[in-house]
Amino acid sequence: MTVFGGRIGLFLWMLAIAAAIVAPLVFTGGVSRNLAILALLFAVVASNWDLTLGYAGIFNFAHVAFFGIGGYVSAIATIHFGIPIWLDILLAVAFVAVLAAVTAALAVRLRGIYVALVTFAFVQLCVALIISQKWLTGGAVGLVGVPDLELFGFRFGSSAMSYFYLAEALLIGSTLFLRWLVRSDFGLSLVALRDNEAYAVSRGMSATRQRVLAMVASSLFTSAAGAVYAHYLIVASPDVFSFSLTTLILSMVLLGGTATIFGPIVAAIALTVVTEQLASFGVVRFMIIAVLIVLTLRFVPGGLWSLGEIFTARRGAKGEESAR
Amino acid sequence: MTTTETIIEVRGLGKSFGSLVAVDDVSFTIRRGEILGIAGPNGAGKTTLFNLITRNPFGPDRGEVVFDGHRIDRLKPHRIMRLGLARTFQKETSFAKLTVEQNIRLGGVYGAGLRGAALQAAIEATLEMLELAPLRNELAGSLPVFQTKHLMIASAMVARPRLLLLDEPASGLNSIEQADLQRLILRLRDSGTSILLIEHILPLLFGVSERVMVMDFGKKLTEGPPSEIARDPQVIEAYLGGKAMENLHAT
Repeated sequence: MTVFGGRIGLFLWMLAIAAAIVAPLVFTGGVSRNLAILALLFAVVASNWDLTLGYAGIFNFAHVAFFGIGGYVSAIATIHFGIPIWLDILLAVAFVAVLAAVTAALAVRLRGIYVALVTFAFVQLCVALIISQKWLTGGAVGLVGVPDLELFGFRFGSSAMSYFYLAEALLIGSTLFLRWLVRSDFGLSLVALRDNEAYAVSRGMSATRQRVLAMVASSLFTSAAGAVYAHYLIVASPDVFSFSLTTLILSMVLLGGTATIFGPIVAAIALTVVTEQLASFGVVRFMIIAVLIVLTLRFVPGGLWSLGEIFTARRGAKGEESAR
Repeated sequence: MTTTETIIEVRGLGKSFGSLVAVDDVSFTIRRGEILGIAGPNGAGKTTLFNLITRNPFGPDRGEVVFDGHRIDRLKPHRIMRLGLARTFQKETSFAKLTVEQNIRLGGVYGAGLRGAALQAAIEATLEMLELAPLRNELAGSLPVFQTKHLMIASAMVARPRLLLLDEPASGLNSIEQADLQRLILRLRDSGTSILLIEHILPLLFGVSERVMVMDFGKKLTEGPPSEIARDPQVIEAYLGGKAMENLHAT
């Protein structure tokens, strides 16, 4: 919490902004740029998942499906219905928000592991629908031909960096939104309900309402990221519903540190870069990453972000001592 | 009959768990500005009665509760708080990872729909009243028992409830803290909140209550002014058992 208040916070913000501006100049190669775009979009997905999983304590396994469905709505709207680009992204956000509300209303009245079960069943339902409704979704191959994004006649695909900047803007917007949300009374109420539901309810908080709202809020930037992802790849693919992508994003959330927002973002970028650096190891890299995750969670259970908090807490303590 | 003088009327409230009747046909009323005490041995159904009235975590099988003119026995628990009926819990509890001020703030925002300047004023007044102002930025989880109990009352009082249900607020407190608590309960009453009080420490219960209701085996045994209740052989029997009554007679 203290990390992003005061002078240190300002410094870190400036550093992040500087990195964001310089980054495109560094990622000049096609492969590394592609990777950077994926890292940014996954950072959006992971940090939004942190809202429901970390802050609200909902075992919501449908989160990555919100990302996937965002892409499909975008693809179907543009390819089958000729909805203009950008509008299709808004449509994807609205559609997924409603879907998130319905899923949440069914799931959050249950407890713990049953929430995981119901949300996981929701993902299976989505996959089954997408594979079977080939005329609409393209089936197992996916829906190919999602149009390139365009702004005032400028085609995003024509300049290599434009999707990078768009993903970056999405991540910045999403992060500002999430940080504002978790520090608001609404955010406090989610933590209160997570830590002590009976007490929170006795103070006037509606467990169902707040959790449904949390699920909807977490779906907004996630589905937008999914839509941008589909435009970028030109395809909406059922691969995004795979268990391996959910596992990857979940490990970003846990590795970065739950209930921090910043942690999953840092972990998303770190994991993507590390995975790429280990590319020469082939399949072995996934084992190396798995071991790294286990070691991190064993020795730094608060996630990578808690390392930063421990560091600043020590500095703060030293500062107090020297002031005496 | 509910009159404007009555803040709550409970009629024939009951709850069974299988063959066990936890609360059996309990009826009572509380007048505005009154403190009604509840005494009774462990397992008498006192806390269950609180649970039924607030429907947190479960409501009654039978009976009616009319609070300030509203039937509340079918409402959701958070709605009951918003109508002005707040409770505390037997075990001191808090939102441990939030600060003292945030704990109180949530009670004001969600318990009473307060916003802006009105919210801030209510928080300041509550911090002052419960003597928590110096601890406002501390994490609630770091507070000792006495302050945690105060905080639990503060997060209710910030919403200015018309009725407060206190469940053994003195348990685990030393005698100085108990005396403080006694004064606090009277101050809460004087600020316009009626109180229903469960307490095992009888001098405290009898010291603040205008009337005392005694429960045993889920049933209401009797009700009356503390001075009468303290002498009621039926009460002494239920509370202390026959042996203690003999001792009492011997002295």
